[in-house]
Amino acid sequence: MTRQKRSHHKLKRAVAPYLYLSPSLLIIGLLMLLPMVTVIAYSFQNSAVLRRDPSFAGLKHYQAIFDDPVFWASLWHTLYFTCMSVIFHMTIGMAFALMLNSDRINPTLRNILRVLYILPWLFTAVIIAVIWRLLLEPNGVVNSILLQLGIIGSKVEWFSSPETALHAVTFANIWAGYPLFMVSLLAGLQGIPKDFYEAADIDGAKAYQKLIFITIPQLMPIIISISLLDFIWTMQVFPLIWITTGGGPIYSTEVLSTYTYKLAFSSYNLSQASASAVVILLISLGLTLFYIRYQKAR
Amino acid sequence: MAEVVLENICKTYGNNFRAIDQLNLSVEDGEFLILVGPSGCGKSTALRMIAGLEDITSGSLRIGGTDVVDMPPKDRDIAMVFQSYALYPHMTVFENIAFSMRLAGKPKAERKKRVDEIAKTLQLTSLLDSKPANLSGGQRQRVAMGRAMVREPAAFLMDEPLSNLDAKLRVQMRAEITSLQKQLGVTTIYVTHDQTEAMTMGDRVAVLKGGVLQQVDTPKRLYESPVNAFVAGFIGSPSMNLFEATLTGDELVAGAFTIRLQDAAFVRRPGLRSYAGRKVVFGIRPEHLYDSGLESGRKYQTIPAKVTSIEELGSEHIVHLNIDAVRVDSGDPDAVQDFGLTSNAVAKFEPDSAVRSGSEIRLALDDSKLHFFDPETHLAI
Repeated sequence: MTRQKRSHHKLKRAVAPYLYLSPSLLIIGLLMLLPMVTVIAYSFQNSAVLRRDPSFAGLKHYQAIFDDPVFWASLWHTLYFTCMSVIFHMTIGMAFALMLNSDRINPTLRNILRVLYILPWLFTAVIIAVIWRLLLEPNGVVNSILLQLGIIGSKVEWFSSPETALHAVTFANIWAGYPLFMVSLLAGLQGIPKDFYEAADIDGAKAYQKLIFITIPQLMPIIISISLLDFIWTMQVFPLIWITTGGGPIYSTEVLSTYTYKLAFSSYNLSQASASAVVILLISLGLTLFYIRYQKAR
Repeated sequence: MAEVVLENICKTYGNNFRAIDQLNLSVEDGEFLILVGPSGCGKSTALRMIAGLEDITSGSLRIGGTDVVDMPPKDRDIAMVFQSYALYPHMTVFENIAFSMRLAGKPKAERKKRVDEIAKTLQLTSLLDSKPANLSGGQRQRVAMGRAMVREPAAFLMDEPLSNLDAKLRVQMRAEITSLQKQLGVTTIYVTHDQTEAMTMGDRVAVLKGGVLQQVDTPKRLYESPVNAFVAGFIGSPSMNLFEATLTGDELVAGAFTIRLQDAAFVRRPGLRSYAGRKVVFGIRPEHLYDSGLESGRKYQTIPAKVTSIEELGSEHIVHLNIDAVRVDSGDPDAVQDFGLTSNAVAKFEPDSAVRSGSEIRLALDDSKLHFFDPETHLAI
């Protein structure tokens, strides 16, 4: 092979992978990178989108957001909503996974439970929102049961009272999201060698010791990965809150996504909305980097 | 330390499959007993029943004089080494070995002292802070041993602990476990499907087949006096050659050849005379077949054979042969594959044997080493 031929061959080998990747790179660039860059650009412009020749605004819109108490309330609600959701998704998912994995439960019952527990996953956010709006209505099923049990004294307006609304939407989101954890942890549980438990039995481990010393450490990689992903996704939840409370009453369930949406499509302040979106992007990005680093470290 | 006694132990599964049938075994204090048999013979099940990981359907099991049938594993005063070692990957070697002490709430200082002692015995001291993933197969095996030793149990139960190691390491670990067992003097029950391990490690060997105990004896006696064709075929490598023949007077007539039997053969087996004129199964180990062209083979009578293939191992030649006789299956499910379509016998020749593949030879056999079995029951005559 001549030198020229060889270098041509080398070049072909070097370029080939990029050629294969180019269609997907193009699509990602057009559909994800371009909008993202545009939004970032908007956040530094006055009257973005609305005017043909918007002027440079510097950090003005960021300043405006950080001065807005509603933004801080939204940020706090987002954190509460997200943290509670992730914690309960994990604990409920873990409890159900342990139950479904146990061989003490009758196999038929286990199969029925498996289907029942996974049901919330089958519904779209809109359906879940509608179901819980109906259930938690002042004259709805939940109130009537709680009244009959004597747990509450009078009908509670779960979604319409500022004291309960945030808890109610968080509750609905917890209900909607635990199956991901359950399914992932169940798969993880089934991957733990039986020998580990038998060795522990011989060593005299009690059930809770097996959970602490074997099950949880073995599931840790899954727990951390899914928690991080759940955190990133839950932070961005929009439809569930929008349909149940719309961020109200009196901003009590306002989260960053609804706050941004309102800025953009109620106030038509697209520049400020872009700035808010960039803030969400930065928080998500931080978590994502953390997730990627964790995945690499494994 | 204690003796382990199994009396009429049975294990029946839900579908009426009987995994263990009337198992009677008595393992003396400090004895190294090997449970051996082909895959699916119930040896692991038997061990797991002793450990308490499987329920005992019926029968009694005593460890150190105490009936443990209804006791949970932790109260049986046993320690088990698993085939997979079952080391916890998230714990260090120290934590793995100390695990049972930690569960028992032993103080840290005591745990450290004990683990250090064991690590020293097993040469693991420099590895105490490593995780199992960073250890070699042999080191993991030793950690598993350490985890069993830390409990100072009355009996060790080992479930094929060497099967995950490569051949060379297995030989080394075989010797290590044997000497460790002698040093500790703890009653040990060791399960394996590898008859070499069985022959080299144990004080006594119990051979199981289909959940039924065939023979318990010293390795030497198992090799020399197998009670049936199965044990004869299972013990020894390559397996004993078993063929059908008719006993006519003092001669075995099989196909186109006859083997003259000496009086001693009948003196040793008074029952053999009653097979006169009938079929018998005779067996001869590969190491008792010789190349008639060599000095070692000159003194024996010969039969015709065709060489089908030769495995030259340096120290010996494994020669696959075809002889004109009907081969008898010993009943070892793992051994069925041993014989190809063209060969029905195996011999071990000295390395200076000049036989070539495809040649017709005279095969010398040491008739004093023949074994005889009933053709119906396969029991030794």
